[in-house]
Amino acid sequence: MKPRPLTDREKRTVRIAGIGLAIYLALFGGFRVWKFFDTKRSDYRQLEVEAQNLRRQIQPYEDKVLVVKKLMDEFHLDPAKLKKETVVSDASAAIQQAAKAGGLQLGPIRESPARGAGKTLATVQLESSGQVPAVLTFLASLNSIGFPVVVESVQFTADNSRPGQVKLNLTISILDFDQQKEVPHA
Amino acid sequence: MKKISFLNPPPVFVEFGQTALRAAHENDSVELPLERQPDGRLTAPCKEKTIAALKEFLQAKSWQPRARAVCAIGARGVSLRRLSLPAGAAEEFHQRLRLQIESEFPLPPDELAWGCQKLGGPPAANGTVAKQELLVAAVKKEVVADYHEILRACGTEPEFTLAALARTHLGTPAADSFILLDIGRHQSELTVFETGVATNSRILFWGSESAAGPADAKLDALAQAVNSSPTGTKLFFSGNKISPEISSRLANGCQCAWLESADTRMSAAIAGLKKMVDQSGHPPLVIRVEQTGGEVRSLAAIDFKKWGVRVGALVAALLLLPYAEALLLKPHLAKKVAAFKTEAVRLTLIDRELDFLRNLKSSQPPYLDALYIFSKSLPPGTHFEALSLNSHGEVSLRCAFRDGQQVADFRTKLINSGFFANVTVEEQVPTPDRQRVNVRIAAQEKPAGQLLALPVGPTADEIGKDAKPAPPGAMPPGVSAAAPAAPPVIKKETKQ
Repeated sequence: MKPRPLTDREKRTVRIAGIGLAIYLALFGGFRVWKFFDTKRSDYRQLEVEAQNLRRQIQPYEDKVLVVKKLMDEFHLDPAKLKKETVVSDASAAIQQAAKAGGLQLGPIRESPARGAGKTLATVQLESSGQVPAVLTFLASLNSIGFPVVVESVQFTADNSRPGQVKLNLTISILDFDQQKEVPHA
Repeated sequence: MKKISFLNPPPVFVEFGQTALRAAHENDSVELPLERQPDGRLTAPCKEKTIAALKEFLQAKSWQPRARAVCAIGARGVSLRRLSLPAGAAEEFHQRLRLQIESEFPLPPDELAWGCQKLGGPPAANGTVAKQELLVAAVKKEVVADYHEILRACGTEPEFTLAALARTHLGTPAADSFILLDIGRHQSELTVFETGVATNSRILFWGSESAAGPADAKLDALAQAVNSSPTGTKLFFSGNKISPEISSRLANGCQCAWLESADTRMSAAIAGLKKMVDQSGHPPLVIRVEQTGGEVRSLAAIDFKKWGVRVGALVAALLLLPYAEALLLKPHLAKKVAAFKTEAVRLTLIDRELDFLRNLKSSQPPYLDALYIFSKSLPPGTHFEALSLNSHGEVSLRCAFRDGQQVADFRTKLINSGFFANVTVEEQVPTPDRQRVNVRIAAQEKPAGQLLALPVGPTADEIGKDAKPAPPGAMPPGVSAAAPAAPPVIKKETKQ
């Protein structure tokens, strides 16, 4: 059976309905597409803010790195390479080496481990004697032996048996970098 | 093309004659004298004067675009040629035209200010290339460049055409052959038109004031020139009035008429320019100083459709680019942020290292500085026995001086050095033979922060003096190695 042809009114209704449907779909689809892109964009903005914060956080480190490098050059020391197990023995050996290289005669050397949880690993007491310039050179060189040492006390005594020479009594602390690591940065 | 002519200033109409410049702007007009060098160019003072006078006349507003200056130049120095070129693409056609001009005119195209008017051409026969008929007008570039410079300096955008072509708009027949004679005071301009196209234009040294009697030889010569023209069936007069006798003698029986402008204050050329602009907007033949591509300088000439599309594209780009950026750059940025975060772990290590090294530096007691201060302060002949220093800044010294005065001087020097917060002579005991005084001194260094500001250390002079090697075992200056022992007598005093 042949279907009845649509009247003009019906055709118009169908056309209007089609247009309405198309507009609805376009709006709905457009909204979904816009929503999708907007979400992507807000994610991107968030990421950008995060990147800017990171950049702001990192920026001061450019100067800090320069200061660290300068201090490392000054002390001939890279704290990150220090090993807690060997740093005392290595530092003691380096101190003795520096004394010998300066022409000092070494006397008794006493090492004592640090008590408690301080910043010091050990204390080295060292006696030696030598001419004044050699003693001064040795004192000056302790800063750059490549280990974190601090001269706690120094005592010069005239050596009456050998004119022109002084006796030197040093107390040296070897600092603990690991202890420093645990101290939160202010 | 839409026009927003209300934003544009009204055009200026200018006629450059041999001795004067005439300009009309809205309802005003002005005539300025021109001084020329022997080569026809304007003199520098004349240019300056003309610029100043025109500026005052035009009073251009800074917020408006440049006013259009439609200029008519006289026939002096102008050459007219009718050329026929094969039609083709614009660039190719232009190249051919330049070559033709180079061959037809005595000067190369770069030294000419020239322009052309398309006249159309005969229809191409089968197998032949279509031809384009052109009327080319050229004049020495320097002459027009002077005019151009003046008008540009006055804030206008000039375009030049021939005065004779402008005059034709006052009522000559469009497609007829005729002669146009513009009569000046001392000279006249004769232009011959063949089927409405100017073919020849020249200056005749005869004017309304030089017209003498009927037997004037110059007038006869002029009449002969007019009548010898092959197309001289019609004669049009413009410019200064002459007597009917003379005009009928010039016309010599042919049809003649006067071209009149509605406003008698205006010259025929300016009136023609006005009419031409009203009718067609632009002169049919524009003489250009620089043969560059046309550039839109007037707001009225803006193609709004084209610019609208461009603006629309820009706005769309403005709206869409942020989204495109988010889609395209997000993976790259995310990768970078992740890398930053990984690297950020190292920042803690840098902080710790910095703290440790700073702590190490601040913990270093200034022993060598203290020793230097002592060596500088001790008087010669002092016997040194013992010196101890510690990281808390406590200093203790045992030595022997010659007398009490030396002890006092030494202490004063230590205090004056600024290195010590206090200096205490804990014990001062004379030896039994009264030759020496054994002393025990205690001192306290100032805090590290204050010591940093002190200029401790040898000066450049002292370094130079001490450059000589010291003998082995030598003590610092003024210090001897040992002090004699002596029984202690307690005497304590503190000076700050």
